[in-house]
Amino acid sequence: MIDRLTAALSRSRADYTEIRVERTWSTAVTFRGRRLESATASEDQGGFVRALHAGGGWGVASFTSLDRLDAMVARAGELSRAVPVDPPIRLGDVPTHQADALLDLDGDVRGVPIAEKKRLLEAYNGAMLGVSDRIVDTLAVYRDEVSEYWYVNSQGTILHELRPDVTLSGTAVARRDGTIEKGLESIGMRRGWRSVQDKAAGFRAVAERAVALLDAPMVKGGTYPVILDPQLAGVFIHEAFGHLSEADFVYENPQAREMMTLGRRFGKPVLNVGDNGVAPGLRGTLPFDDEGTATQDTTLIKDGILVGRLHSRETAAAMGERPTGNARAISFRHAPIVRMTNTYIAGAPPPGGGSFEDLIGDVKLGVYACGAFGGQTMLENFSFTAAYGRMIRDGQVAELVKDVVLAGNLFQTLDRIDHIAGDFRWNQMGGGCGKAGQFPLPVTEGAPHVRIEEALVGGDVAA
Amino acid sequence: MIAQLIDAARRRADGGADALWRRVERTTVAFEWGRLKSAAATEEAGANLRVRHRGRVGVAGTTAVGGNEVGAQHAAPLLDRALASAELGEQSDLVFPAAGPLPPLTTCFDRAANASLDELIGIGRSLLARLEREGCRVNVAIERETTVTRVANSAGAGGEYRSTAFGVSADVWRIAGDDVLVVSDALEGADVPSDEALAALVASINARLDHALRVVASPEGTLPVVFTPAGLSALMLPVTQALSGKAVLQGISPLGAKVGQEVFDARFSITDDPLRIDRATSRPLDDECVPSRATCLVERGVVQRFIYDLETAARAKAESTGNGQRAIFGKPVPGYTNIVLNDGGAQHAAPRQLGGGLLEDIRDGLLVDELIGVGQGNVIGGAFSHPVALAYRIERGEVTGRVKDAAVAGNAYELWKRVAGFGADARWTGSRWAPSVLFEGVSVARR
Repeated sequence: MIDRLTAALSRSRADYTEIRVERTWSTAVTFRGRRLESATASEDQGGFVRALHAGGGWGVASFTSLDRLDAMVARAGELSRAVPVDPPIRLGDVPTHQADALLDLDGDVRGVPIAEKKRLLEAYNGAMLGVSDRIVDTLAVYRDEVSEYWYVNSQGTILHELRPDVTLSGTAVARRDGTIEKGLESIGMRRGWRSVQDKAAGFRAVAERAVALLDAPMVKGGTYPVILDPQLAGVFIHEAFGHLSEADFVYENPQAREMMTLGRRFGKPVLNVGDNGVAPGLRGTLPFDDEGTATQDTTLIKDGILVGRLHSRETAAAMGERPTGNARAISFRHAPIVRMTNTYIAGAPPPGGGSFEDLIGDVKLGVYACGAFGGQTMLENFSFTAAYGRMIRDGQVAELVKDVVLAGNLFQTLDRIDHIAGDFRWNQMGGGCGKAGQFPLPVTEGAPHVRIEEALVGGDVAA
Repeated sequence: MIAQLIDAARRRADGGADALWRRVERTTVAFEWGRLKSAAATEEAGANLRVRHRGRVGVAGTTAVGGNEVGAQHAAPLLDRALASAELGEQSDLVFPAAGPLPPLTTCFDRAANASLDELIGIGRSLLARLEREGCRVNVAIERETTVTRVANSAGAGGEYRSTAFGVSADVWRIAGDDVLVVSDALEGADVPSDEALAALVASINARLDHALRVVASPEGTLPVVFTPAGLSALMLPVTQALSGKAVLQGISPLGAKVGQEVFDARFSITDDPLRIDRATSRPLDDECVPSRATCLVERGVVQRFIYDLETAARAKAESTGNGQRAIFGKPVPGYTNIVLNDGGAQHAAPRQLGGGLLEDIRDGLLVDELIGVGQGNVIGGAFSHPVALAYRIERGEVTGRVKDAAVAGNAYELWKRVAGFGADARWTGSRWAPSVLFEGVSVARR
């Protein structure tokens, strides 16, 4: 394949050309309630070409028939010439790489019969259904894939990779009369079959919680000190801050650039945030991004101050900064754009930080918001739905509450993070991130427990 | 041909088969932050095969299909995988439909099919010129697409059609300090949009931007709130989810037991209509060979029926409503085509007034154009609570400025019971046709 790609490259008349080819084997098994909904195996394959002529814009071509490779290389070149761009697009310098990077498959899913995948999922689904007859419905999904990946560019980078991905998710729906509650379990790793064994306990736990939520009161809306558990804190930093640190948002927008000026204070000195594309085994981890740039651990906020951002080669050159290996595409159907990998709030052990107990010790009345049903950010405003919450009363975790929705302004909220615990963990979840029509991109988030001194909790806005 | 795939499948699957083959060819140009940035071409083809064997259903998909056919060398492994999937697959009584007459429908428009790269760039430039203003940055994307779809089944039904789609989207960004404002709009149709439609898009963005420049305090309390056609999503989503036969089968639809009952305002009707002219989602038959027809789901407040594909219909002992949708990968699912709220009527091309004439009698209230977090949480239950992304204060019948730190909450089913007014500004937002709608008594909180 590499020979075929380098031959196609040599025929390109553009000043810069890159070609990606992917072949993906995947299986998916779905249970809904006790019914097996589907068990399917798929094979997806295709290529992507991007070309740049001096003075031209990006010419892009994607295709599923590899017989069309040469024609599509030529087409990308024509398209680049057809869209003059001034000032011209420049690419940040990066070292070239020639690598055969076969990630640890940890039990190649391609060697496991689909019947066995069905049995595994059936057991996890059964763990949810077995909790109570209040569990009226479940959705359990197993998905795996292995992508064989080739990348070449006209500057000499040649890559061949095997990229595994395996995810499990479970939704348990509990119902009593008109009240419906749900619990959500999600597991995802850039590994293989062995890494998804022995996971029944997590599925059982979310079903138990869904049942417990039937009796839980709605949280009373208002402003509280809020402690985010590591999962919600991770989702928060990804959604509310991470996207603003993607340089394609700022690089050609002077006002945005000003808002995101390096050196600006974003939080108290306890706040440290980064994006780490090299942390082993995580879904956002890869040796190289989809422009052939080596990935890295990029610090974004250090001691409360904005110090970095995420770049592609193009945004780095435009801003006079260094590429960070964050140009990613969800598949050959798309161009690489600036994306996160594994985004985190760093844990703060004592003396600066502390334990979970330290965070809640002086809270008279607060909300402990746990897990995430979803989150959305629109620029500086965000809204997150926690999976469940617990009230904090007089420094102690108290009763379960539901419908905990956090809403606020990013800048204010980051600045109100006043306490961070030392209990950092990565949330190894499935799902993924969406941006510019590219969804789902495998990413991971990580955080310790985090305290916001004051945040608006919705849920029952007085009717 | 896809017929050969079906023939091969019929010989090995005792309960028959159906298949979809689709080829998409697309051109896109993108203007980023005010300048032309990229042009892209896509050629994609793939096939999805479903078999029924020993009472069980199996599905397989592939993009390894060669250029214009599902060749024999590709058909055999696809069939093997579908049969392997059926060994584990669910038991289903689904019946592949026999051939029936297809409704006449134009799905392919020559101007869209033949639009050149220069034409796309020209449309983008003209929009850019009309949207650019001091202190703002504009993104524009123009896309044209031609698709060939073939579907067939072992009962002799099938069809082939060529369709076009043309999309124009624009968003204007204004960042002042830490205040980020984005106003956007899009046109999605089957043909190249008319000059009037493009002018309406420009006018819609500019009007909302002009009103947004001034930031005012949010009102608070239980207030009249107008949801624009775009802002209506939070109120439509629970209803459309609840009208899906799949949700009814799962026992999670609040409308599941309400057929024949008047549960909405008597002026509220919803139809799924795959036969609308000039819509990219319109088609003569669905992806499971069922001829298209309009399906009235709610008529004058009364729940009529739910949407089904073949499989959910078989389970519900109902008939498919022709809402089978399938992608290259995965199995068919029931999905909406064009959701039409109330009568439909002719599409307005001329610029429309913000609020559709519903603002006049409002002393103090809100106009909601976009909310944050729609689709999160327990949507089908009807309760919603969302911060606003783009909303305006209405005072004494007029828009007085943009409201930033407000949240609206309510229950969609309760609100649809008593609609205070429908606007005269019905339009397409994506694949939904709806006017602005005024509700009294929506909870508005300020933060």
